[in-house]
Amino acid sequence: MGLLTDLKSSISRATSSLFAGSEPKRIGIYGPPNAGKTTLANRIARDWTGDAVGPESHVPHETRRARRKENVEIKRNGKSVTIDVVDTPGVTTKVDYKEFLEHDIEKDDAVRRSREATEGVAEAMHWLREDVDGVIYVLDAAEDPFTQVNTMLIGIIESQDLPVLIFANKIDLDEASVQRISNAFPQHETVPLSALEGDNMDEVYDKIAEYFG
Amino acid sequence: MPHQCTGCGRTFEDGSKEMLSGCPDCGGNKFQFRPEGTDFPDDPDPPEAAGDDDAVPEEGDASVAETVGRATTRVRDFVSSTPDEEPDPNATWPSETGEDAPGASGGDDGTDDGEIIDADARRETPEEDTAQSSARSGLASAEEVRDVGSPTEADDPDPDSTAGTDGAAGRSEGLAGGTGGPPTEDDDRIVSEPSDEEPELSELREQLNDQFESIKIVEPGQYELNLMELYDREEYIIALQENGRYVIQVPDQWIGNDIDER
Repeated sequence: MGLLTDLKSSISRATSSLFAGSEPKRIGIYGPPNAGKTTLANRIARDWTGDAVGPESHVPHETRRARRKENVEIKRNGKSVTIDVVDTPGVTTKVDYKEFLEHDIEKDDAVRRSREATEGVAEAMHWLREDVDGVIYVLDAAEDPFTQVNTMLIGIIESQDLPVLIFANKIDLDEASVQRISNAFPQHETVPLSALEGDNMDEVYDKIAEYFG
Repeated sequence: MPHQCTGCGRTFEDGSKEMLSGCPDCGGNKFQFRPEGTDFPDDPDPPEAAGDDDAVPEEGDASVAETVGRATTRVRDFVSSTPDEEPDPNATWPSETGEDAPGASGGDDGTDDGEIIDADARRETPEEDTAQSSARSGLASAEEVRDVGSPTEADDPDPDSTAGTDGAAGRSEGLAGGTGGPPTEDDDRIVSEPSDEEPELSELREQLNDQFESIKIVEPGQYELNLMELYDREEYIIALQENGRYVIQVPDQWIGNDIDER
């Protein structure tokens, strides 16, 4: 992993001398709205702790505040890796309350959601700068990955030298293309999965343990 | 192809004798000369590729990346061309309402908005912050202002705009946004009609504030976000107010304590 990450974790280890092991790494789950970030966070949390992280929804910007699930212990191949999972609001360059109106939400509520979603994006960007040790970048494999938001965020993550895994989610959909995503970000490892169906989760946990352990 | 008939567009080699008696195709006798290595676009002023300082790698949406790069360069040049002065603590904010939340970011209270960063930039940009503070409060010449946008547009958000390009402020947000939606004439270049009268200083200041903001409120419930700017801010925006102000939390009070001191 990156030198910075090692430095960071050695610092946090130094500050937590009470603990025998190292601090759990904070892994931020980032990506555009509706990529399935919360579904993934919930699946990881349920699989390893029995709890969920937050409500999942087909309405974009359902997650408007970052949520954290601490001390998720993932056991792989006789080893155990403990991470804090941070589920973040979908990052976008535009939030419009009219999106919500299509989902039978009243205007006042839609405007409020929109404002909260915007605050949530600001928060997610701030956490990316200050508060995560690694990133899982979740993309909807049925959507075109070549967007400005994706390019910019991956660029920021790279500039931070954070370990990053690209998750090509929703492979249960007919129009999903994992190849399109790995072509878009050939410099990173792309892991196909369906967080909703639980497809390929073994590989997901193997990779999480390998990258963030 | 150095010569091109302005009538029919036919091109001729340098030194061609054909064109001496007019264009053989259309009889036109006006020709445009372009040195070797330039092509003939259908429309004038093709967008040029941006320099190496794009905020994002130029894969994916090249035209957006070019816009970002150009705008970034322009903003950076503009910011760094302003001398380091002391920021004016009394700078006014657009739509001042007096409901000052503790820690609310004022026009200039020493908080760093950060500079637009390159993707490979690291975190140390203290001197840009000063430059930006002075850009907020310092005086800009009308010429500089014309360079970066028109005051008549800046304070007039267009409710129909979903393209992120409604005037100067929209363009500044275009540093981070501007995907989707049809391109407009100011997508590529910063063009503005100079107004007849000298704009008021307060207007200039508002306009500069607009250009460096992280979140633009198009109208209540419609926001455009400048992701680079948001990422680069030291402080943490915890609440948005509809008057265009943010409630912020300064870094150390919020971040880190609960984790690193366990």
